[in-house]
Amino acid sequence: MVPLEQLHLNHVLQTVSALESVILRSFGPEGGQVLFTRDTGQVMLSRSGKRILTALHLDHPLARMVVRCVWKHSTITGDGSKTFVLLLASLLRIIHATASKETHMFQSHNSTKAAEAATARHLADKLLEFALTELDKFIVLNVLPHGFCVSLENFTAKTQHNLSFQTLLVSFFHTRLGYAYCDFFRNLFCELLSHWKVKDDQPSFSIQLLNNSFPALHTQVSGVPVSCSRLIEGQVIHRDFATPCPQVRKQPLKAAVFNGYLGIVHFSSWTERSVESIIATLQSFGVSVLLCALKQSSAVLAAATQAGMCLVECVSEEEISLFTYVHLDFHDCEERLKVKPCSLVICAPSEGQADQHACAFQDALRMLLTALEPMHKTQTALKKTIPSEECTSLHTDNISNEAACRVHLHQKCVIETGCVISAGGTFEFLLHHALHQYGHSCSVSVNTSAVSQLLAKALLSVPRQIYSHNLKHFLQAQTRVMALIPRQPNALSNMSLKLLDLGFESVSCKYQLVLAVLQCLTNLLRMNMLLRTHTILHTKSHNSLNAHSESSEDEDED
Amino acid sequence: MSRLVKKSPSVCTDLPLNSSDVCNKLRLMKELLKSSYGPTARLKQVHNDIGGAVVTTSTSSVLLQAISCSHPIISLIKGSILNHVSRYSDCGLFASVFCLSLIEEAGRCGLRKDVMIRVYKHLLSLCTAHLQQEDCGCKVKLDFCSSRSLITLARSVIASKPTCVLSEPESAHISRLAVQAFLLTVPCNIPDKVRLGRTVTIPIEGHSVLESAVFSGLLLDTPENISLGSLCSPLRMVLFSASLAGDLSELGDGRIEVHQGVDTDSQILDQLLELGKQVLKDEVKLFVCQKVIHPVLQHYLRCNGVIVIERLGISLMEPLIQLTAQPVATLHTTIPRAAYGEVHNVSVRQFGSKTKIHLHPAGKTTTCTMILCHRNETMLNELKQLVCQKTEHVLRLTLREPCALLGGGCTETHLAAYIRYQSKNDVSESSPVLSCSQTEYLLAAEAFCRSLESVATSLEHDNGASLIDLTHAHHWTLPSDVTEEHLKDATALCGCGVVQSCQNRKWSYLNTEYAEFSPAPLLTAAPLQPTVLDSFTAKVNALEVAVETANLVLDVRYVIQDVN
Repeated sequence: MVPLEQLHLNHVLQTVSALESVILRSFGPEGGQVLFTRDTGQVMLSRSGKRILTALHLDHPLARMVVRCVWKHSTITGDGSKTFVLLLASLLRIIHATASKETHMFQSHNSTKAAEAATARHLADKLLEFALTELDKFIVLNVLPHGFCVSLENFTAKTQHNLSFQTLLVSFFHTRLGYAYCDFFRNLFCELLSHWKVKDDQPSFSIQLLNNSFPALHTQVSGVPVSCSRLIEGQVIHRDFATPCPQVRKQPLKAAVFNGYLGIVHFSSWTERSVESIIATLQSFGVSVLLCALKQSSAVLAAATQAGMCLVECVSEEEISLFTYVHLDFHDCEERLKVKPCSLVICAPSEGQADQHACAFQDALRMLLTALEPMHKTQTALKKTIPSEECTSLHTDNISNEAACRVHLHQKCVIETGCVISAGGTFEFLLHHALHQYGHSCSVSVNTSAVSQLLAKALLSVPRQIYSHNLKHFLQAQTRVMALIPRQPNALSNMSLKLLDLGFESVSCKYQLVLAVLQCLTNLLRMNMLLRTHTILHTKSHNSLNAHSESSEDEDED
Repeated sequence: MSRLVKKSPSVCTDLPLNSSDVCNKLRLMKELLKSSYGPTARLKQVHNDIGGAVVTTSTSSVLLQAISCSHPIISLIKGSILNHVSRYSDCGLFASVFCLSLIEEAGRCGLRKDVMIRVYKHLLSLCTAHLQQEDCGCKVKLDFCSSRSLITLARSVIASKPTCVLSEPESAHISRLAVQAFLLTVPCNIPDKVRLGRTVTIPIEGHSVLESAVFSGLLLDTPENISLGSLCSPLRMVLFSASLAGDLSELGDGRIEVHQGVDTDSQILDQLLELGKQVLKDEVKLFVCQKVIHPVLQHYLRCNGVIVIERLGISLMEPLIQLTAQPVATLHTTIPRAAYGEVHNVSVRQFGSKTKIHLHPAGKTTTCTMILCHRNETMLNELKQLVCQKTEHVLRLTLREPCALLGGGCTETHLAAYIRYQSKNDVSESSPVLSCSQTEYLLAAEAFCRSLESVATSLEHDNGASLIDLTHAHHWTLPSDVTEEHLKDATALCGCGVVQSCQNRKWSYLNTEYAEFSPAPLLTAAPLQPTVLDSFTAKVNALEVAVETANLVLDVRYVIQDVN
C-alpha cells in the first residue's frame, strides 16, 4: 500500500515559510553570511540564496521542489534567489488568507479544505495569466521611466551611463560579499572586462566569453588577504610541469596542444622511435612547450626531457579550449591586438571565502548577461524552463504556453536592453503603486482587480524586509519613491540622484523574477496529493523521514 | 546491491555568535592558544584516545591541526590561520590570538556587528598604511651588509619555540647556522631571474646541538666499507631515477612476448651489464640511482672503481640535479654525453655511527647540507621540521621585503597607541564615511586596540604585569616579584630591547586607560640594537588575515551543518 498524503494549502505555506526564515538572515543590506559545512567537512560561506538552499538537504518534497525552482531561476539570472523565496512566501500567505475567507466560490467541494485548495489554485492560475499578459505593460509604463540605461560602451569613463553600470555592480557585490569588498571587486570586475573587450562586437559577447570560460580564467589562493586579489597577464594552467622546465628560454615561445596520446601507448621499440620522430618534428617547428589533455607514457616524458621540452599533463578541457580560443581564433585578425588576455587571482584567508568570491564573480557575469539581453530573448529562455517544471504538476495546462506566445508577439520593443533602477525596493514600490491604481480603476473586471491587488500587496513584502530593522526607514523610502511618480522624469533628477546611494538593480532581472515566482506558485498549488513510493532498499531510510532539521521540523506534521 | 543512502537533513543554528556555547568554545580556544604564545610558553601535549604517538608542542600549525573542530566557526578560523601558516610559516599564534580577541571584544562592546566590521576594516587599513611608511616607529630596515640583524631575526623565531629545549649558546649556534645556510642558498651571479637553492637537513640523534654544522654541497648515505681510491677531479657521474633492479614493472603497460626457453632474468641482467659497460667506457666515476640497483651490476661497477650509491630517495633527487646540473638518465635510449654530470670531489665524513659521502660541487652552487644534532628524537624532530624550516622561510621572506618588525610585543603596543591616537583625531571625518556615530566609532576603535594589547599581554605567562611606556609606546614586562620602582632602574629594557629605562619615564598598565598620545620616534645618536625581531611580511599578512577572518566570523548569521 502506497502511503497517501493529502496536501493542504497550509502545508505548502509552512514549508515555504521555513525556507524564508533561513533566507532572511542574509537578506538585504543588513544581512550576513551563512556558514555551512559540506559532508566532506569542508567549511563554505555564502550569502547567495541558491547555495544556502541547496546546502539544507531538505527532506520534504515540496521544499525540494521550491529549491529546484529557485536553483533554476538563479542559474540563469545569477541573482534574485532570496527575493524569490520571500515573494513566494508572501504570495502564499495572502492567497491563504483570501482562500480561507472566500471558500464560497467552490461550494460544490465536500470539505472546506478542498474548497480552499480550489480557490487558491484558481487564484494562482489567474495571477500567472495576468502576469504573462499584462505585467510587461505595467513595467514599461510605470517603472521604466524612472530607470536608467546601462551600456558597456566605454564603461570605465566617468559619464552618467557608466556611473549606473558601476553602481549596478557595486550593489550586486554588496548583496553577495558584504560592505567590505564591494568597491574592490567592482574595480577588479571592470578591469577584467576592459581587458577582454572585443571591439566591434556586441557588448554582451565578451561577458558571454568570460562566463563560459570562467573556471579556466580564475585561480583561487587561500591564506592571503582579500586585497591581494588581482589580474595577471596571460593564462594560468593549473598543472605543474611533468618534465623539468629549463630556466632560460628564447622568445617567443611556441606551444603545441594535444588532445590524445603522443604516439602509441603500448611499449615497443617501434613506438619508441615514433615518439622520438614526433618530438623531433615538433622541435624542428621550434615548439618548446607541450600541453596535453591526457597523461602521457614514460617514453614520451623521457623523449621530451631529452629534447629539453616542457610538457604539462592532464590540462583540463576548459583551459585547453580557452588557450586555443585565444591563440588560434584571434590569431590572424586585428582583434587579437586589442584583447589583452588576463586571468583573475582571487585571494582570501580561507578556501571557503575564496570560493564564495569566485561564485559571486561568476554570478555577476550571469546577472549582467540577463540585464543586457533584450527581453524577447529572455522570454524564450523562460519558456524552456516551463516544460520540466510541469512534469511535477499533476495537471497539464495550456494557459501558460498560449499566454507566453501571445506575449511573445507584442514583445519586440518592450524593454530596452540594460535598464536598471534604484535598489532598496524602488521597483516594488513603483509596481505596487501601478497595480494598486489599476485595481481600483473602474474599467477592469472584479476578477482582474482582485488579482492585481493581490500581487501589489505581495510585492510590498520585499521592501518591508529590506527595512525590517526600522519601520521608519520603510515609510521614508516609500514616500520618497511615491514623490517620483507624478513627474515621469527621464533624466536624473535631484530626487533620483538621492536614490543613487542605494545602488541599482536590473529591471529585466526583476521582471523575470516575478514571472518565475508565479510559475513556481502555480505549480505548487496544483498539487493535491503526495505519493511516497519507496523501493525495498529504502525501507530503512523511510523511517528516518521524520527526522528533520530544526528549520523544517514543522513542515511535516501529519 | 545499491549503495544509495538517503541524505539526512542538515542541522541549523541561528545567530551562532549569540549562543553562549559557541562563545565558550571560542574563549577556550583563545586561552589554549594564548598560553602557547611566546618564548616562555606553556607546552601542550597532544594525544589521541586510541594510544597514538604523544606530541609535545607549542606551535600553532601542530596545535590547530590537533584541535578537532566541534563547530564550523572554529574550523573556519582554524582553516584561515593554517592557510596563513602554510604560506608564511610564522605569526600563526599572533594571528589566531588577535582574531579571537577581536571577536570577543566585538561581543563585549555590544555594537551592531556591521558597524564593528566597517570600523575594523578601516582601522586595519590605517595599520597597514602606517606599517608601510618609511618612518614607521616599529619597523627596522634590515642591513644585509652585516649578518647581525638576520641572526637576531632567526633567533627570535627559534626562541619562540620552547619545545626544542635549547640553551642560550645552543640557540645562538643554531641561528648562526640557519643564517649561514640561508646565505649559501642565495646565488651570487644573478641572472634575470633569481632561483634560490636548497638546504638539505640531515638529523642525527644523540649528539650535542653544538655539533650541528652546515656544509656546501651534498652529503649522501653510503655503505660503511667504502674506499675512495685515487680519484682525479672533476668526477663524471650519472643519475638514474628508474629502478635498476631488473624488474619489469618500470617498462610501462603492454604485453611482452617471450620465446620459449628464454631466461628473462638473465636477459635483463645482460642488458644491465651492457649499461654498466657503456658507463665504464664513458669514464663515469660516480653511479647514483634513486631506487634499487641489481647487486650484480653494483658488484661489477665497484670492481671497476666506480662509486655506487643506490636508494637515494625522491627527496634528494632535485638537490642532486641542481648540484651537478645534469638531467636524469633514462633506460629508453642509450645514454647521450649530455646526460652526465660532474662533481668536483668526494670525501667521506663520519658523524657518530653514520658515514656520509660528501659531494663537493664542481662550480658555484646554491645547494647546501645542514647536519642537525640533538639529544633525543622528539626535540630533534621539532628542531628539524618546525624550527629550521620556518627559520629558512622567514629569512627568505626578507629578500622580498628587507625589513623586520620589533618583537617582544612592542609592535603591538606601538600600533595600539598609534590607532588610539589616530582614531581620536579623525573621528569626525571617519564616522560619517563608515555611516556610524562618533561614539560607536570610538568604542569599536577601543575594542581593536585592546585586542592588539591583549596579544602583547599574552607573551607573559608567569603572573607578571604588562606595561606600556607613555613616550615610545613600547612593551615592558614587570615580573611578579618586583615593584614598579624596579622599572626605573637604568638597566631595564623594553620587550624588543631598543628602549632603555630612565628616571623620568612614565608607564601605564596595559588594559587600563591612559591618555592617548602619538608614539615618539627614537632619536638617540647610537640607538640600541633590537634583541627580538619579527618577520615583517609574515606579521603584516597575519594582521590582515586576523582582521579579515574576525570580520567574516562576525558576519555569520546562520550555520548549516551537513551531518552526513
